[in-house]
Amino acid sequence: MALFFKAPIDIEILLDGEESRKHVEIANSSDSPTARTLKDRYPIYEDGESVSGRVTLRVKEGKKLEHLGVKVSLVGSVDLLKSNGESKKRPAETFLSLSADLCPHGELMHSQNFPFHFKDVEKRYESYRGKNVDVSYYVKVTVFRKSTDIVKHKRFWCLLYNRDALLPAVSSTPADAKSVKLNIGIENCLHIEFEYSKSQFSLKDVIVGRIYFLLTRLKVKHMELSVITRETCGLEPNQLSDSTSIRYEIMDGSPVKGETIPIRLFLGGYDLTPSSQSNYFSIKNYLSLVIIDDDGRRYFKQSEIMLYRKRN
Amino acid sequence: MSYAETIDQAVTNCKQQTILMQRCLVQDKLMDALKHASVMLTELRSPLLSPKQYYELYISIYDSLSILSTYFVESHTKRHHLADLYELVQYAGNILPRLYLMITVGSAYLQSADAPREEIFKDMIEMCKGVQNPIRGLFLRYYLSQRTKQFFQADDSEAKKANVNFIITNFIEMNKLWVRLQHQGPLREREQRTRERKELKVLIGANLVRLSQIVEMDFELYRTEILPLILDQVVQCRDVVSQEYLLDVVCQVFPDEFHLGTLSDLLTTILKLNPAVPINKVVLTLVERLNGFVERNTDVEDLTRGLAFMSVEEGDKNLFFIFWKFLSQMSEERPDLSLQELAPVIRGILKLTLRWYPDNISNVDVLFKFMHEKCKDYGKAASEELDSLFHDLLLASEIKSDTAFFMKLLTECDAYEGLLSAQNLRLQKDCANEILDTLTYAEWRITSKAELEKILQVCGSLFKSTTEKASSSLMLDEESELDSGNWTFAPDQEKLAQLTHLCYNKSIDSHSELLLTCRNWFQQSGKNIIYHSPAILANYWKLIRRCQLRSKKKPETREKLHVTMKQLFKHASRIINDLYNACGAGCFDLLYKLNVQTASLADQCELSDIAYDFFSQAFTIFEESLSDSRIQFQAIVNMAQTLQKTRNLHTESYYETLITRCTLHGSKLLKKQDQCRAVYTCSHLWWATEISPLGEEEGVTESFFREGKRVLECLQRSLRVADSVMDNVQSCELMVEILDRCCYYYIHGDETSTHVGVKYINGLIELIRTNLDSSALEINPILGDGSKNTSDFTYIGIDGSYIYRNPASSVATVYNKATPSKAVHLESIPVEHFNRTLQYIRDQKDVDDRFKAINV
Repeated sequence: MALFFKAPIDIEILLDGEESRKHVEIANSSDSPTARTLKDRYPIYEDGESVSGRVTLRVKEGKKLEHLGVKVSLVGSVDLLKSNGESKKRPAETFLSLSADLCPHGELMHSQNFPFHFKDVEKRYESYRGKNVDVSYYVKVTVFRKSTDIVKHKRFWCLLYNRDALLPAVSSTPADAKSVKLNIGIENCLHIEFEYSKSQFSLKDVIVGRIYFLLTRLKVKHMELSVITRETCGLEPNQLSDSTSIRYEIMDGSPVKGETIPIRLFLGGYDLTPSSQSNYFSIKNYLSLVIIDDDGRRYFKQSEIMLYRKRN
Repeated sequence: MSYAETIDQAVTNCKQQTILMQRCLVQDKLMDALKHASVMLTELRSPLLSPKQYYELYISIYDSLSILSTYFVESHTKRHHLADLYELVQYAGNILPRLYLMITVGSAYLQSADAPREEIFKDMIEMCKGVQNPIRGLFLRYYLSQRTKQFFQADDSEAKKANVNFIITNFIEMNKLWVRLQHQGPLREREQRTRERKELKVLIGANLVRLSQIVEMDFELYRTEILPLILDQVVQCRDVVSQEYLLDVVCQVFPDEFHLGTLSDLLTTILKLNPAVPINKVVLTLVERLNGFVERNTDVEDLTRGLAFMSVEEGDKNLFFIFWKFLSQMSEERPDLSLQELAPVIRGILKLTLRWYPDNISNVDVLFKFMHEKCKDYGKAASEELDSLFHDLLLASEIKSDTAFFMKLLTECDAYEGLLSAQNLRLQKDCANEILDTLTYAEWRITSKAELEKILQVCGSLFKSTTEKASSSLMLDEESELDSGNWTFAPDQEKLAQLTHLCYNKSIDSHSELLLTCRNWFQQSGKNIIYHSPAILANYWKLIRRCQLRSKKKPETREKLHVTMKQLFKHASRIINDLYNACGAGCFDLLYKLNVQTASLADQCELSDIAYDFFSQAFTIFEESLSDSRIQFQAIVNMAQTLQKTRNLHTESYYETLITRCTLHGSKLLKKQDQCRAVYTCSHLWWATEISPLGEEEGVTESFFREGKRVLECLQRSLRVADSVMDNVQSCELMVEILDRCCYYYIHGDETSTHVGVKYINGLIELIRTNLDSSALEINPILGDGSKNTSDFTYIGIDGSYIYRNPASSVATVYNKATPSKAVHLESIPVEHFNRTLQYIRDQKDVDDRFKAINV
């Protein structure tokens, strides 16, 4: 903010049709307690979509600015949060960097508009803001000066829909649509069959399945299904970071042998992250079955499910 | 989200949330309303509530959800689409609130025409599986069935089938949960569990009721789709409470016709039940239904329609046959079944066959035979607890109600008697008693010997005990001999005696034979014939009377009847002799009276020889055995009364012999007052009076046996005795009594013929007066005054007893001895009596001039 007052120039970046675009609301990542409940709104772009807009440079009235040139660039980067509580971000990889010169060096006497257009930009990753990883896209305008450059970012959000490159499995061959069947058991105590329709779900999908009790000597209090999102990045000890996205009770009371408990979990209403993988981090989703017995002991089984975004 | 600790708190919370929810609904804030509903539903997750409390909570929540449901329906498509809502409620994190909301939305959705009925139904019932806790699951599924019940009106059979399947599925799951409830918690609370389960049974039963509502009269659907599934579940759950209750409900809720059609299936199922289930209850319910069917459908058409249902499956339309098959199967598969359980089952089937095949004895016979076999197999006599069961079985009200049938049963059904004899003696007696009661009450007429013998055989137990007792030991024998003087009240024997009154045959010979049969049977009971013999004898009297009447009506048969009558008298004599031989000492008085009575009857039948015989027999007993002075006096009076009425003894001067003897005995009595009274009573024996039924009339009939001289002799003799009585009061009293007699003769006979004349009467009055005057000195004047104040009147009766009468009460008290407290007034008795007699004579003077000659 302090920069603004000092800055002799005001940079505004307007994306084309920004107001009419869809927006996502993402919880603010900054650590200040007041900001935590706030939400950031970002316009949504997709892979291969052109990003265009205009940059307005406003010079303070009656002043002029000498510069060495103005450049606009489109950047996509993966940032990792440093370990040990340091909140500083460490850029890990800049996987996208396109730039264009807006004007040669000279003097700005009055406010000026510069349109820009990045055509059919390939966006490899989906935007993501996790505990330790931040995948972000932004338009960056730089006014080069002899002294400090003046920089302005404009962040936008990128969603990837069902890309074949990442998820070859979604190509819906019949073999892949096969249901997943897991046999889980504690010897002489509990033996169940956990079955659900498939291993890959779109974010609006419904997980349908059943749990078949082959043997039960436990006094089960209830049973829950949860979806856990696991973010992996960097090095130990902060490598793993789990967050539970869904907790869903599917059974109340203790079943007897031979009982089948249906599972149906609508994913659409929850805020989930698609699974993804890159050199620096990975996001995985697990379906976790938790059985809690009368004494409060928890028995669980996790199995990975692939979540992907799919156009409605 | 958590739940309240107590039921009160829970209900309060629920009410609060309802209000909040309603407020939100008014403002169309659906999401908030759902949130409140969900908070409210969380209360239902509480494991702390007892089933009753849970039900209370459930009711209140049901009402609240109804509000929500109404809102859903009203604003469907206006503000939201129920399909969306259906998905929306899936996001509730806890399963119980989620499912309640889901059912609420789902049932609301079903009300719109375009709803995918099948899917919603299927989904709801499938999802309910998530709740495995018995109580919560039961209520959830009950909620499901309550919410959906309005959608079951299906027209085409496919939809109907689907509905049926839906309900049955729900029912099966509910039953499983219900059974599982039994096994929850610690073992020592088992009883409590069972009780709680019984409280909840209606929830499960409701499903069957619903089924019966939608199946209507579609028997095919019931037979193929409903019943097999239900029965299968019943058998599989192997739970006593459940099996008992469910079969009961099945029997109750479905139409009778269906039961007729599926009887075999039902019965087969019964055999497969848990051994602890009381089979008899189930069978009884079923029988009740089938019997009810007959009752409700008095119309023949309805009945045949019902039976048509049966023919669908059973080649043999015989209902009993099916049950019989069941029975034999049962005895094969369940040999462990105790008599206790078996008896009511048999009783049930008995009821059935009696209702359906009212005249089919052989069915009943088969049943009793079966039971008898079982009793034999059981070996030792059945314990006493079973008594009432067998009692019910043997004397079912259905059997007894129709006496004709009952009789038929008794006489034609061998197994009945067999079964009865297999019981213990006490029960046999009870039953025999009741059988006799029934026959007596119905006034059934036993006409054939075979019939009678059968009944006697059935009642055999009533004879038995005494013979056993008598033969038990000599000591006892003697003791009972002493006791036998007392008439103990013996209802059993009395009933047997009543049986003789039931015998009747138009033919006199046959009737006599019946009575003889009775007699022969009763002989077994030893001394107890004291109870029966009078009855048999009385019947002979009746029979003899009948002969007499008949011979009067048809003079041509007189000869033959005469012989018969003689024969009958011989039988009567035999009976008296039997009685004498069996229990002589105990009943001399009775024997005496019976003889006198029979003699009187013989006299009336103009059989003077026989009459004389009986009279002499009576005298023999009097002389040999009647020792009590009181009884002797009574016997004399009795004899005098009887003799005075005889008319046919004059041949061969039987009459003179008898009356002389009677008077002689009278004069030889022990007590003087008895002598006096007996003799003046005997005076009447020489003064026959008219018996109008015989056509005699005073003054017209000439042939009266009258000897005034002897009368006077008797009176004089008694006066002598009276005079010699030491007690003045007694003596005077007796004299006054004799004066009374004199007046009688004075009125009823001419002075010349009776020899009781004015002179004699005047003399007697004078004598009494003198005697009274002399005794008047003894009257204590003070007490005499007191006696006037007393409110009691005292008299002396004809037999010398003292009669006290209190004017305040209409009942007089009689004492054999003067009570000391009242003895002081005794002096006044003869005085007053004398005065009354004199007053009578004075009164007579107005009517009869002859009395004017008497000085009063």
